[in-house]
Amino acid sequence: MSSLPVSLYLDPQIRDWVLFPITLVMILVGILRHYVVVLLQSAPKVQTRAAIREQRALARSQILRATAAHSPIPPVYYTSISQHLAAAYTAGTYLKDGPPKGDAPSAPPNPITDPAAMDGMMAGMKTQMVMMVPQMVIMGWINFFFQGFVLIKLPFPLTLGFKSMLQRGIETPDMDVRWVSSLSWYFLNFFGLNGLYRILLGSDNSADSSRDMTASPFAAPGGAAGVAGPQDFNKLFKAEKDNLEFSEGLHNWVGQDVENRVLRKYGKLAPAY
Amino acid sequence: MSLQSALQQLASFRANNSRESQETFAKGLVVLKAGKTVNLGEEGWAFLEQLALAAIDVGRIDIADQCLKQLSDKFDDSPRVDVLRGIRMEATQSPSIVLSFYDELLRISPSNAAIWKRRISVLRRLGKLEKAVEDLNEYLDTFYTDVEGWLELADIHASCNQYTYALQALSHALLLTPQNPFTFLQFAETAYSAGDMPLALKMFLVVIDMNESEDEDAIPLGISVRAWWGTKLCTRQLVASSATHNSQSNTSVPKNIKLVDELATERVLTAYSGEQGIQTRNLVSKWMSRR
Repeated sequence: MSSLPVSLYLDPQIRDWVLFPITLVMILVGILRHYVVVLLQSAPKVQTRAAIREQRALARSQILRATAAHSPIPPVYYTSISQHLAAAYTAGTYLKDGPPKGDAPSAPPNPITDPAAMDGMMAGMKTQMVMMVPQMVIMGWINFFFQGFVLIKLPFPLTLGFKSMLQRGIETPDMDVRWVSSLSWYFLNFFGLNGLYRILLGSDNSADSSRDMTASPFAAPGGAAGVAGPQDFNKLFKAEKDNLEFSEGLHNWVGQDVENRVLRKYGKLAPAY
Repeated sequence: MSLQSALQQLASFRANNSRESQETFAKGLVVLKAGKTVNLGEEGWAFLEQLALAAIDVGRIDIADQCLKQLSDKFDDSPRVDVLRGIRMEATQSPSIVLSFYDELLRISPSNAAIWKRRISVLRRLGKLEKAVEDLNEYLDTFYTDVEGWLELADIHASCNQYTYALQALSHALLLTPQNPFTFLQFAETAYSAGDMPLALKMFLVVIDMNESEDEDAIPLGISVRAWWGTKLCTRQLVASSATHNSQSNTSVPKNIKLVDELATERVLTAYSGEQGIQTRNLVSKWMSRR
């Protein structure tokens, strides 16, 4: 057997009634799912001014700090902005609900009780359901009807390591690795159809299922959409205040020594080194 | 002009965010007349918005209305169409009507930045500067990263001779676009107007320092001519009066101010050495020698 290649003859009916249908069903389900997800998507919630302000307040100090080492603005302006921000962070001016009152420790809001966070979570769950259910149905269908089918022979040789990947559901130790079982064909499609969907539906489609294997239903759809869970901005602001103080020490105005640089560039002053 | 090239040009205008109203209007009209907006697909809507804005710019309200009607039919309650409607109203209606239109929209969605900005611009046009500044401050407090907003604020303050406030607004704009020499130039000129010579001088020099392509032998062009002139004006004052200059920003006068002054003189004169500049060169050098 080792000298002669195993001649396994596949019935063309398998090709017509198993291989093509599985592929076609998977493609169509992917497309259908894309449109279901589009239908299920709720419009992004309109945020109040205070909420936007709270979310973006941190960016202010990040912008300020980003250029601190070669700051475009003179020290006076820098320190005034920096100290203003630090004071505002300490006082909690930017918090959505105004400065915290009294000395009550501010617990992070519970995501289950906060309706805004709940909405985001539900949206994630809904799309997740649309992702998982059809895959389970298809897998069940293939397992039930086509268990142990050999569907296709790959046109290139492969090492033995691919056996578990390509011949899932067939427990034969001797069969050539090039033969692909029905369940493995399903998995190959499952992970490999993304490119086709991208051609059919555009780049930001939601048809690809392999992607949501890693996604958690609690993660906000779209990542930076803003409902990224409960954040205790008060704590973040307090931490940012320290960063601001640190950067203030680093501050160096780009105009500090500019006259010498310009004079050197035009040859009026000997180079520094 | 072929339809294809017109469409391509219009798409590139959109991508580059350039206004070019006259040209956009001419090209857009070709497309609109050909009735091809329907088979443009999703692009068609962006095109209609672009054409409507250009039509308002060149005063063809009828075309703008056509575009607006198509857009309203498709997206009736879109905030973007609302803004367009507002701009259309600004073109013909009285400011107070437009203002109440914007007020109504802001009442429904208070966080709509585009409408908020339009409202501020109408307020400024009406001459209600105090209200405009107050609104603009609140707007920038929410949307800090809007460079346009900071520049507008600086402009309003400068127009009221409040140069200190203008400088503060410009410093925020500088933080947001530290790579833009024109913002530095504006800062320098505002500082010059405010009478803060050492600060203005430093900022003019930063503009020159940013212009890497220019060197000793090159003739200053564009922004650097202006920056050298600014430098010269500052050094002239700083050299002329040896008394300590008061600088609100505590900027020190450079030690080798004489050298900077010489260099600035030389560079400004170089700027007038080209074929066009040669006639005015005498005038400039006379001004230079007059102390």
